[in-house]
Amino acid sequence: MLFDRSLIAACATAAIALALGACAQKDPYQAASAGLADGVLLPAYTQWTETDRRLAASARAFCAGNESLADARRVLRDAQLAWSGLQPMLVGPLGEGNRAWQVQFWPDKKNLVGRQVGNLLKANPDLTSADVEEGSVVVQGLTAYEYVLHDKTVDLSDAQVRARYCPLLIAIGDHQQKLSADILGQWEGDDGMASQLRTFPNARYADPNEAIADLLRVQVTALDALKKKLGTPLGRLSKGHPQPYQAEAWRSGASLPMIGAALAGAEALWQGGKESGLRSLVDDAHADLANRIDQAYASVRQTADSFDEPLAELVGTEEGRTRLAELYEQLDTLHRLHQNDLAQALGVQIGFNAHDGD
Amino acid sequence: MKRRAFLGIGGVLAAASAFGGWTLTHRAGTGPLLLSARDGSDGRHYAVGYRLDGTQAFATPVTERCHDVYAHPALPLAVFVGRRPSRESYLVDTRDGTLLQTIDSPPDRHFYGHGIFDAGGEWFYTTENDTSEPGRGVLGVYRVDGRQLARAGEHSTHGVGPHQLLWMPDGETFVIANGGIRTEADSREKMNLDAMEPSLVLLKRDGTLVSKERLPEQMNSVRHLAVARDGTVVSGQQYEGNPLDKAPLLAIKRPGQAFQPFPLGEAQRQMMNQYTASLAIHDDLRLLAVTAPRGNRVFMWDLDTAELRLDAPLPDCAGVGAVDEGFVVSSGQGRCRLYDCRGERILASALELPAGLWDNHLRLA
Repeated sequence: MLFDRSLIAACATAAIALALGACAQKDPYQAASAGLADGVLLPAYTQWTETDRRLAASARAFCAGNESLADARRVLRDAQLAWSGLQPMLVGPLGEGNRAWQVQFWPDKKNLVGRQVGNLLKANPDLTSADVEEGSVVVQGLTAYEYVLHDKTVDLSDAQVRARYCPLLIAIGDHQQKLSADILGQWEGDDGMASQLRTFPNARYADPNEAIADLLRVQVTALDALKKKLGTPLGRLSKGHPQPYQAEAWRSGASLPMIGAALAGAEALWQGGKESGLRSLVDDAHADLANRIDQAYASVRQTADSFDEPLAELVGTEEGRTRLAELYEQLDTLHRLHQNDLAQALGVQIGFNAHDGD
Repeated sequence: MKRRAFLGIGGVLAAASAFGGWTLTHRAGTGPLLLSARDGSDGRHYAVGYRLDGTQAFATPVTERCHDVYAHPALPLAVFVGRRPSRESYLVDTRDGTLLQTIDSPPDRHFYGHGIFDAGGEWFYTTENDTSEPGRGVLGVYRVDGRQLARAGEHSTHGVGPHQLLWMPDGETFVIANGGIRTEADSREKMNLDAMEPSLVLLKRDGTLVSKERLPEQMNSVRHLAVARDGTVVSGQQYEGNPLDKAPLLAIKRPGQAFQPFPLGEAQRQMMNQYTASLAIHDDLRLLAVTAPRGNRVFMWDLDTAELRLDAPLPDCAGVGAVDEGFVVSSGQGRCRLYDCRGERILASALELPAGLWDNHLRLA
């Protein structure tokens, strides 16, 4: 057969639906898609919204002198990790229209975050939330927030410095809270994203296969991005010269925990929540593949959990680089297993025009 | 888990449709033939033809991945043009998919993925790279000789890295998108991002330059085109500069007017991720359709008022072409869609065609 999964519109016509019998109820692809929406994606988006609500409150409390810097940094870390966990789940609204840039600006090759924060505060001594809302995405997200709380040039123990940066912290916290609430609203609405993963056809997906393909696509994209997030500071794009300041969230030392959180999100898509995940769609003939993917997640998780030092420090030593290279290889294995083997076993295409068009 | 319903039926119909006469491609009742490059799940490249009901007319394996395809105006022939930097294009019999000829580019030329027959069906033209002077745009001229194409000459495209070319309504004037990006033989690496020279060129059939116009943004590669019956030209851009820059990703040249940005809403521009792929115009409905695969989005506008008519998700959307009802759009990931644009609301439905693996462009013959 030339093209697998041709004419898969099993439920498209009444005659065919009758022939297969109530497939709308029993389609495992639909069950997996709906199960992931309700058991994994919605909880993850809800959790992200909750961490951003706390971030907005934390900015105010810190700036009012009611919260320590250490506590403010912990709240930021929660927001960073919740955001990272969503990386393999960027189907729908947050994956569209460059909205993700409003949450985090990476890669930042030219330290745009540092420079634009400085320029913004210089141009607006009495900074308002509107200045940030209408400004560049570079200063709207967690990377700018992290800059204020962690950059060595910002001494928040100095009351004047704190007064200068606090309007920005508060504006970013508010922006993140608004953005995440808006996105969650787009997930939960009657015709929202979660609904589009439950019932078919809809304005986005013609059938459950398209939904599963889209979920696998964003999962594969996230795994590929993790390789870049690790490979860039490791120097894989710069002839082996480590680039610690090209790491995601290097200022707060959150790079490796964020990779771990994204991996946990990817694994949740694979295993599923209470309901079935992508793993449930792998048939008996591919049982070996399912075991290999289980094993790949276990290995990469073990390695990712084994680091105590921040990524920026690890890339500075031979031993650190060797251990990170092992993590990279494990990420690469995991990425390939999803992109090639799992896509084939599930009989879905994850597209190519978006990556190598002309 | 595999669910491959009913391919067998399609296969039987496909076989039945493959033995008609020369006029089969336009015979009433069979509907238009969708032509496109597509990959197989076996990883090979194919030149394919399908009826919109899912009947496969042909799927011919080809060595090189193809990009655009152009049907002969009268005969059941189509050229599937090799994607850059391919040196091969393929002349296919659209009744049964017989590969009639592998067209080799001259030694110092490679194809850029686009080509067109003239209205008389006697000539075929392609955009090519002069690899002895990398990036210099060449319009390759081929004479149709029976069921073969023979190289007959070439003209300059008056630009760097030409991509799509189409006819103006007079059938004597080309409109050419010079993408402005210099690449070398056997390579897709962009060599001149700091010195790109994109342009929109009108050229007489004999190679005489009629006009050459530019957009202000030097890194805004003019790549794909659609031409309306009244001579309105729309171009789709791919912006190579800063992802945060606000570059005009669609531009328009109305009859007698200058080449200028199409009034694109900021929300839509953001959705495109600096990248447009295929364009089509529906002449009767005066609609423009554009795919943006990096944004996983399909758009439609009223061509005359620039009013937005559709902004819809379609993962890895690829080719687009006009049919009576509206537009057909393919996807590298999901199922092909038919957008019925005849009513006030545009209605989408999934076509019974194989899902995914469709390459950038499609044509309806």
